[in-house]
Amino acid sequence: MNALSLWCLQLKVMFGKELRQLGRDRVLLAFIVYAFTVDIFLAASGVSLQLKLASTYVEDVDHSSASRELASRFLPPYFQLQGELASERAADAALSSGRAMLVLTVPAGFGEDLARGEPTHVQLQVDTSNAVLGFLAASYAEQIVARFGLETVDAGKTPLPVIENRTRVWFNPNQEDSWFMGISELLNVITIFSVLLPAAAAVREKERGTIEQLLVSPLTPLQILLPKVLSMTLVILAGTALALFGVLRPCFGVPMAGSVPAFFALTALYVFTSAGFGLLAATVARNLAQAGMLTILILAPMLFLSGAWTPPEAMPEWLAVFTHFSPLYYFINISFGLLLKGQTVAALWPSVLGMMALGMAAFAAGLLRFRRQFG
Amino acid sequence: MDALVIRADGFGKRYGKRQAVSDVSLAVRKGELFGLIGPDGAGKSSLMKAVAGVLRYDSGTLEVFGTDMARDAAAESVKARIGLMPQGLGQNLYGDLSVEENVDFFAKLRLVPDAQARARKEKLLGVTRLADFRARPMKQLSGGMKQKLGLVCTLIHAPELIVLDEPTTGVDPVSRRDFWQILAELVAEQGLSALVSTAYMDEASRFARMALMHEGRVLAQGQPHEILALRAGSVVSCVPQEQVRARAALAANYAQVEALGPCLRVFVPGLAREAAESAVARLVDAAGSATAYDSGEAELEDVFVALLAGSLAPTDAGEAAAVPAAPGKASPAIEAISLARRFGDFVAVSDVSFTVREGEIFGLLGANGAGKTTAIKMLTGILPPSSGGGRIAGVDIARVKSRIGYMSQAFSLYLDLTVSENIRLYAGLYGLSRAERAARLDWVLEMAGLQTLADTLAAELPMGQRQRLALGCALVHRPRVLFLDEPTSGVDPVGRRAFWDVLFKLSRVDGVALLVTTHYMSEAEHCDHLALMFAGRIVADATPQAMKVALEHDLGALYEISGEKALAFAPVLAAAGLGGVSVHGRSLHVLCRDGARLAALASEHGGVRVRARVLTMEDVFVERVRALEKEAGR
Amino acid sequence: MKMQRVQALAWKEWREIVRDRLFFALAFVVPALLMVLFGYGLSFDVENVPFALIDHDRTAQSRDYGYRFIGSRYFDFKGYAANEADAYDLIAGGEVRAVLVIPPGFGRDLAQGRPAQVQTLIDGTFPNRALTIRGYVGAINAERSLDSAANYLAARSGLPYADVRARLQPVTLEVRYLFNEAVLSIWSLAPKLIMLILMISPPFLTALGVVREKENGSIFNIYASDISRGEFLLGKLAPYVAISCVNSLLLWLMAVGLYRVPFKGDFAFFALASVVYVACTTGVGLVVSVLVRTQIAAMIVTMVITLIPAVLYSGLIIPVTSLSDAASFVAHAMPAMYYADIVVGCFLKGAGVAELWRPLLVLALYACALFAAGYALFSKRPAS
Repeated sequence: MNALSLWCLQLKVMFGKELRQLGRDRVLLAFIVYAFTVDIFLAASGVSLQLKLASTYVEDVDHSSASRELASRFLPPYFQLQGELASERAADAALSSGRAMLVLTVPAGFGEDLARGEPTHVQLQVDTSNAVLGFLAASYAEQIVARFGLETVDAGKTPLPVIENRTRVWFNPNQEDSWFMGISELLNVITIFSVLLPAAAAVREKERGTIEQLLVSPLTPLQILLPKVLSMTLVILAGTALALFGVLRPCFGVPMAGSVPAFFALTALYVFTSAGFGLLAATVARNLAQAGMLTILILAPMLFLSGAWTPPEAMPEWLAVFTHFSPLYYFINISFGLLLKGQTVAALWPSVLGMMALGMAAFAAGLLRFRRQFG
Repeated sequence: MDALVIRADGFGKRYGKRQAVSDVSLAVRKGELFGLIGPDGAGKSSLMKAVAGVLRYDSGTLEVFGTDMARDAAAESVKARIGLMPQGLGQNLYGDLSVEENVDFFAKLRLVPDAQARARKEKLLGVTRLADFRARPMKQLSGGMKQKLGLVCTLIHAPELIVLDEPTTGVDPVSRRDFWQILAELVAEQGLSALVSTAYMDEASRFARMALMHEGRVLAQGQPHEILALRAGSVVSCVPQEQVRARAALAANYAQVEALGPCLRVFVPGLAREAAESAVARLVDAAGSATAYDSGEAELEDVFVALLAGSLAPTDAGEAAAVPAAPGKASPAIEAISLARRFGDFVAVSDVSFTVREGEIFGLLGANGAGKTTAIKMLTGILPPSSGGGRIAGVDIARVKSRIGYMSQAFSLYLDLTVSENIRLYAGLYGLSRAERAARLDWVLEMAGLQTLADTLAAELPMGQRQRLALGCALVHRPRVLFLDEPTSGVDPVGRRAFWDVLFKLSRVDGVALLVTTHYMSEAEHCDHLALMFAGRIVADATPQAMKVALEHDLGALYEISGEKALAFAPVLAAAGLGGVSVHGRSLHVLCRDGARLAALASEHGGVRVRARVLTMEDVFVERVRALEKEAGR
Repeated sequence: MKMQRVQALAWKEWREIVRDRLFFALAFVVPALLMVLFGYGLSFDVENVPFALIDHDRTAQSRDYGYRFIGSRYFDFKGYAANEADAYDLIAGGEVRAVLVIPPGFGRDLAQGRPAQVQTLIDGTFPNRALTIRGYVGAINAERSLDSAANYLAARSGLPYADVRARLQPVTLEVRYLFNEAVLSIWSLAPKLIMLILMISPPFLTALGVVREKENGSIFNIYASDISRGEFLLGKLAPYVAISCVNSLLLWLMAVGLYRVPFKGDFAFFALASVVYVACTTGVGLVVSVLVRTQIAAMIVTMVITLIPAVLYSGLIIPVTSLSDAASFVAHAMPAMYYADIVVGCFLKGAGVAELWRPLLVLALYACALFAAGYALFSKRPAS
């Protein structure tokens, strides 16, 4: 048997062993399946940052047809008229208790002023304890009021030199939050497992003492670690396929605009490289519990500095720098590029390069530490 | 009649489908040191936990201090009078807390008044010689010290009954003797009752009464001599010229034949010493001849194995007619040449040299931390030496990985893989060809007696079979050199003997060189040659027999003092300047160069009998290491 | 109940936590770290939106229009693009999030009093950002439209510009932003992060701490002694409740100091509610810990049962009133929502016991129920 085929045989039996072990760990398997299906489904269907049925009350002091007309324009899907409030105090109470998000106050004489062509005003109180939605509600309300005003003054008269904007939203025309949430949760889950699984597999060998048995065998440290990472990569790819074809496409209609094989290939590369962080954790941890805690310490910054929620341009500068050290940042670009934007790998090469550089560094560090610990 | 502290009747406990304990009946009297002896999985722990009121049980009755333990509230009511030390080295203690903080916590937990707690703590720490380490975090103590601290914590509230679950497992022989000594003193002094379990058969003599347990049942109970009487017989040993043939001849007639270095040891049931000796001689002479016949009374382990006779067929490990090369002339298989290893300032191993020849079983002995494991790691190429080197079958240790077999402490099997998957994995790792892999799989299954269990998960095997499977995995690539690091912890005596039979055949018939480290001194007897390590150095290097002779020369022969006044004789011996006395149940052991003087003292004292005993490797080990410790302390 | 035993147990537990460096880090460093990471990483403020312009018109009007965007603090001008193909590349490559296209004839149409067309291309990958960008663009366009219409009408009618502008906008909407006057997303986020982190961290620590004792066998000291279940639970959990109380104070300080969120309410009430909430989430950890055997299982289970509900069904991102019926039911069944009401009320609304006694009562009942469950499930004499 020559050296190469021996090397391959050793890799093959180790690879088979890792897969079998994983297959017999029912609890872990159940957790993997849960994360790639239920968890992603919940995230995709649960989180929406759009203004939906904002609870709106009207304090109509005027009681004119114009005031009723204005109030009736606060319609679903953005607004939901809940009823009238009799007084300012009732309005305050509704707002501070959280029952009302918006209170529209129409002052006395509103209808008359409008009929006489005199400028008038209405007041909107917005609960901005949720800033994003408060801002959206106010800007939709502005548009409703502006249109109402223009229509009363100018109904059907000469055209005016206004700017008519047509907005085209690319890649997600209806701004489906489920697409974004679903995909980014999938990426999070991939990241979590690609760090956690190899760490757990390596620490388990340490904990049970089987690592010594492998070290006295003619395996190199690379041959011990590589099959772990490879088998975990395979499992994660299977999970990813499950999430894409079992949840994201059938339930939410996520388009797969770009090359799906390329997505899987780059996912494999990503898993492979983030595994380096897990191996680093495994060389430090003495048991499974410690490995779990360490991976949390590694994962939390990786996930939240990825720019999925807050773009780097909106972060303080010192923090934005760290974004570039999260491999997930590059993987997010790649995944959205391939799944939503339909980009080609050629167009994504800077991200691919960044991801590889970080991953290689982590993997090399993990391997080096392992070698030093057991070499 | 003494009052009963524990009374179990038809006690049973099951975990899911597995019946862990069935139909156990026993009684422990007040002031008694009662032993539960049996291998892992015999059901000792379940019984002990139920006695301590920390485990529900399924059938039978269990009374502690006359209280029926069936109900939680009843169990709760007696807990103040009980102390429990669960299994595992220091597992019930808090690693990050210091010795003193641990003791204080237990005192407060048990609501011991401050003044009383302080007095008791000082006394117990003094007795256990832990007083100097009171500020040290528990996790930095040695195994023996952890167990002594566990004992202190268990005793801090002055319980009337203590339940100690395998307090000496994983502790080196010196610390083990120390532990028993302290326990015996405390029990005697405070009128305690104690229920203590152990997996070491040779500790049985420490108990006043005991129960032998196996697979959830009690095989026998009573005083040690009563149990020995259950299978009366004699043990004959001799040194045959053709060990393999002689062994085969004996094994055909007797169930228990063991090879101990160049000797054979046979248990002859039902015969007195002389008759047994001549019966053995007849068989051995037919297969060559033998010298150095010796005989003695059977030991507990022989009886235990005999009681389990059903599961033990005569073994045929030595049927091959091949005459192996005598170990002395064979070429060297393992050579350690001035091996040394430092970790920072700490010298783990320094200047270790020895040679193991083909077909030789070489034992490496030493207390925890003596450097055995580090030495093995260097020889197997896991750890590069700081200086010195070694050769395996003439090849430098840096490049030997594919030539050696290695079996580590925990039988490092993959418990979530099946038997055959484990074997195939190692066959693949060592690059065996497809045909060879199939052949070796069959060989390992047969050797380990696992043919019908090939598709069973390793986790479901009992320890004895796991151990043989691990051995098979280590042998799958036919190594010429095999390293075994504490290979038999937790295995029952029957399994252990089967294991040694395999090792015997490997060395004598196949000429494999074996290097073994062990805590079981009874196993050291199996080796052809021993090296004793202390503080990283080899301090003795000889055959077991030579080591015993040397000890006898230096310190004298071993005597056992029994009789109803035996324990009261200890201070008399001390006054006469005869040190090294240890308590075994109701008798004493003492090393003495002047047998006549001892006999005179005994007859003066009255009520005691003095009898010479054969030195064991444990005696050698304990005495040598104690002397070295004293020297190092100075 | 013997306080000496409770004290001894609590003291021992505290020592162990303090001396285990990794555990200590998890106890104190991780909550603070999460506060920083979530605070900056979960902020939905969309500012400095990188954008590009395609100006096919190249008139004074189009330049003026473009400057409305270039000068806005919401936008960060990255340069002119030549055509739509370039725009696609810029957006797809993530270099800009929006491109404004001014077609030829834009200036001429406006000058002649006709509506002029523009087009905005937006990257929809991040829907929340797309939505906000749309809002910004709409507002700037509306403003510019009004200016140009008023200019045009003023020039034609000879009336003063200001009058014309007022007539075009007969109804003005006075918006009053309540509670978070500056509409900063961190103000609304930071208080709820206290809720989130105190939902994750105490159960995690508690479950690990109790299961660690089970896993390494030292729980047998408790089983074997005559300490009562109540004493054990009290002594064992007290340090974890204390740590989490310290953490809630730390998180409060970070919200006020680091993120400059105003605290308008009654601090004493907030502190009381936080203690109750922490007791509640510690109770979650207790129930998990009596049900599982290993630390790794404890980690996984607590993560699954705390993280998702606390993120999705607590009002952290979506107000509970906007949830579907089923989701709203889940939200009401979880303690997180009630505490979210309390923190937001205390920080931003200046509310106190008068407005918030109801959620506090629910939390207190919840804590009692969890501890009762933990007490009932914990056995000093287990069956295995």
